[in-house]
Amino acid sequence: MLNDQTKLRSTNEANPKMNNNFKSLVYNSAIKRNPILVSGMAVAPVVVLADTFMKSVSLVITFSLLTVFTLLVSSFVSQKIVYTVRIILYALIGALVYVPAAIFLNAVMPNEIVEMGVYFPLLIVNSFIISYSETAFFIENKGNMILDILFSVLGYDIVVLIFGFVREIISTGEFNGKIIAMPMIFSGFSETYGGFLLLGIFAALFRGIILLVQKIKP
Amino acid sequence: MPYILRLITVAFVAVFAENTIFARAMGTSTLIIVSRSRKNILGFGVCVSYITSVTGVLSFFIDKYILGGENELSYIYRPFVYILTLGIVYVITLLCLWKFFYKTFGNIKKYVHISAFNCAVLGAMFLNSKYCTTLPEYFFHGLGIGLGFLFAVYMTAIVYDRLYSREAPYCFRGYPLLLIYIGILSMAFSGLINYQLTY
Repeated sequence: MLNDQTKLRSTNEANPKMNNNFKSLVYNSAIKRNPILVSGMAVAPVVVLADTFMKSVSLVITFSLLTVFTLLVSSFVSQKIVYTVRIILYALIGALVYVPAAIFLNAVMPNEIVEMGVYFPLLIVNSFIISYSETAFFIENKGNMILDILFSVLGYDIVVLIFGFVREIISTGEFNGKIIAMPMIFSGFSETYGGFLLLGIFAALFRGIILLVQKIKP
Repeated sequence: MPYILRLITVAFVAVFAENTIFARAMGTSTLIIVSRSRKNILGFGVCVSYITSVTGVLSFFIDKYILGGENELSYIYRPFVYILTLGIVYVITLLCLWKFFYKTFGNIKKYVHISAFNCAVLGAMFLNSKYCTTLPEYFFHGLGIGLGFLFAVYMTAIVYDRLYSREAPYCFRGYPLLLIYIGILSMAFSGLINYQLTY
């Protein structure tokens, strides 16, 4: 273990450019181009479904499973195929990945899947798969693409979890059934419109934080 | 007469009360992508309306003759059949445009793929099969969802300059303001219905 760490450190020291590339890739995928707070991808399930922390957890699991596998399989579709057909193939691959995912998730968390309703199959045509795949992921080399996909999905997941946590507390005054002493409860935030408003505030705050960090540490 | 009134109500509910963006948030990401280029915004809305109407009619026949209504396993293969249908409509539409309206084809080819493959269109097919029973209902509900999307796109287009104005604080400019604006409209529309939507 120690040897591995020493080896890794020495590789990084010997290869600072590679280390910087990795850091910038992680920064770009998860923060600078954060899928939900900056790029506005897959907004619908967050706004409608993620009104409690546990629902956010369900959404994160289903979204990550479907998106990562669909994108990885879709990356093998030849770029020589006409663009029109490629898009159909990506969506069809998503629908095929959905089959084992639906069977597995229905066995593991049946109630959560029922709660998601039509938004579960709609994850097949999320903007990661339909538009971002062509403009970002599939123009990179395979190694970078896999990292980009993983960190973009991770960036999305983290935001959804925080969003669900905050939304649950301010709209119900509870967290996972435990009452939290809130001076006021804003139940409207659990509705669809509340989801839009809160996500808008999150996006503005996120931009503000990034700006502040850049000023402090240029 | 009562049946015609029912069809009009189905379309009206889909456009306003259960608007695909303001009430269900389906297709919001697509709206955000399209709203970055203002000149295509209305053409895009028309594309979505056309596709939801056509697939609305087709989903009636799929539900009745291929999927055979709700059954225990239909949730597994239903998305595949719907997406295949969408793909066929998408290709035929593009071929017709390319053959007969080449200039229009040139204008819309950049964004036509996201007008076919998005949550609003696929969601329309799922909602049709959930709420509608007859062919006219499928058509009017599909058309209503498409027109509802067009309406939402139009509402975004008319304030585009203000949302992206330099006068807006930097942190809120553009995307965050767009979400807050949609949220305020959504709040207003939620006043039209006094019940919780089912998914």
